[in-house]
Amino acid sequence: MSMASIDTLTDAHIDTVRMQHPGAFATPRGQIRRWAPLAIAVIYVIVTMWYFEFGRLLDASERVLPLLRNFVVWRDMDTWAYGQIYVGISQTLAMAFLGTLLGTLGSLVVGFLAAKNVMPFGIVRQIVRRFLDILRGIDQLVWGLVFVRAVGLGPLAGVLAIFISDLGTLSKLYSEAIENIDKKQVEGIRATGAGPLSVIRYGYIPQVLPVFISQSLYFLESNTRSATILGIVGAGGIGMLIIERFRASLYDQVAFIVVNVLVLIFLIDWLSKRVRLWAIGDKTER
Amino acid sequence: MSDVPLTGGMARVGGRAPGGDAVSVFERHRAELRASKRGWTIFAFAAFAICLGASIWISNFFPDRLAAGLPRIFEYFGTVIPDLQWDVLFEGRAADGRAVAGSITYWYTDFWTYAVLIWETILMAMTATLLGASVAFVLSFPAAANLAPNSWLYWFSRRFLEICRGIPEILLALVFVFMIGIGPLAGVLAIAIHTAGALGKLFAEVNENASSRPIEGIAAVGGNWPEQMAYGVVPQVSPNFFSYAMLRFEINVRASSIIGFVGAGGIGQELNRVISFYSDDRVMAVLILVVVTVTVIDLISERIRHTIIGRENF
Repeated sequence: MSMASIDTLTDAHIDTVRMQHPGAFATPRGQIRRWAPLAIAVIYVIVTMWYFEFGRLLDASERVLPLLRNFVVWRDMDTWAYGQIYVGISQTLAMAFLGTLLGTLGSLVVGFLAAKNVMPFGIVRQIVRRFLDILRGIDQLVWGLVFVRAVGLGPLAGVLAIFISDLGTLSKLYSEAIENIDKKQVEGIRATGAGPLSVIRYGYIPQVLPVFISQSLYFLESNTRSATILGIVGAGGIGMLIIERFRASLYDQVAFIVVNVLVLIFLIDWLSKRVRLWAIGDKTER
Repeated sequence: MSDVPLTGGMARVGGRAPGGDAVSVFERHRAELRASKRGWTIFAFAAFAICLGASIWISNFFPDRLAAGLPRIFEYFGTVIPDLQWDVLFEGRAADGRAVAGSITYWYTDFWTYAVLIWETILMAMTATLLGASVAFVLSFPAAANLAPNSWLYWFSRRFLEICRGIPEILLALVFVFMIGIGPLAGVLAIAIHTAGALGKLFAEVNENASSRPIEGIAAVGGNWPEQMAYGVVPQVSPNFFSYAMLRFEINVRASSIIGFVGAGGIGQELNRVISFYSDDRVMAVLILVVVTVTVIDLISERIRHTIIGRENF
């Protein structure tokens, strides 16, 4: 094939190249295959939005504007129960802290039971793992609702909900961390004649502790977020106040609480990042 | 004792200190380090103990309340276990339409109600993921530091995505339920907004790692900014985008199964009703269906992700 400069290129040239290299040119079928998924997705969204009665969004406009105005315009701020709000926020923090702590302690035990290199009996490991799958499969909010039914309204239900769902997730992460460790230290400890508990304490723990600490701190962060929501089902904390104020049409207070919660979450993120760096930097230096 | 071979940094610390051989210098240095570290350890433990005490006090997590609550937890879980009898387990409905007590049919009397709601839940998750992902897709280009056409647009799209993912879905759903009434639309919109924020951040990170050469190539042949994005960036990042969107879909199935707690559609509404008003085997029936659905969706989505990613990469 002769080389042609861009000016002298004719349709005939293009046709020859098309004949020689059909794969380099777009074909109608290729175009259809390329755009079909997108078209299906668009049609799907339109159909489901119609099924979900999208039109209601347009009808709602007369309710939307007053609501948004009530969120932004804060009236009678001196009569708000600030004490109650900040007690609620500290309760949320306390729930997240206790739940994560209990979850961590529980996972320390369960994580070792679910780790392949620690637990010699496959059957125990399988049972523990399936149990953890179930704990993880049910959402934290559902656990919250269940525990509200079991122990009544209040932060105790929230702590238990966070504990149970953390137990499911953290144990899995812990057991994976335990499975990924270096065997040599463990064998070294075992060679000195140490018992199984000493092997875990001096062989495994020093290697996995930084991972454990950083993961638990991550969970403290995310549990602070979820603890604000747990109150919506009655499991204590600031969420209870949010939904109470919302039902009483005190939208300005709802907005105030949400802004406070967002600031709190931001602070916790920052603090937990600092602690994590401190704790892990400390461990790797040694 | 200068003839003792010293190694490492210890030699410089105090190798020739009067009256100190290498071992005692080392021990002294170690003691100093330990002392300084002990201060921090005590501080950390004190802070931890204060946090623990305060949170126990604030959340009323007292041993007596826990002891009173624990038996009730087991009692409750006892009541939600279905009373199945082996001999009539697979018994169908009798001629008059009544199910035999102890059979699966009896346990799952409302199966079709649940099935319709589960189907609605999955539809909600899919629609919300598609809507959220398309917003995230559009905003991820201006929100990537290396691709943003100007700093104003960059700042604006970043903040917008942060606000979208900052507010919990269920709060958004609460507001939407108030505005447009009870039903799945509120849930779809709430999840879509949260998805847009969460995926937008991930997509923008993928974009920031994209190679700049194809973009420069498109720019060199005269492509404008949208063309640079469409032909320079999208082909590189689309497998990652797809994978993240599928992961988000799995998360959204969970989210849409609980968003009904505030009246925003899906199985959550039924779950809330069943848990709040009954304490019998219906709770277990719905929970099992939800867990099975979530697990099956996870498995399918994992399959699809691996097939697509495998095909794109190799």
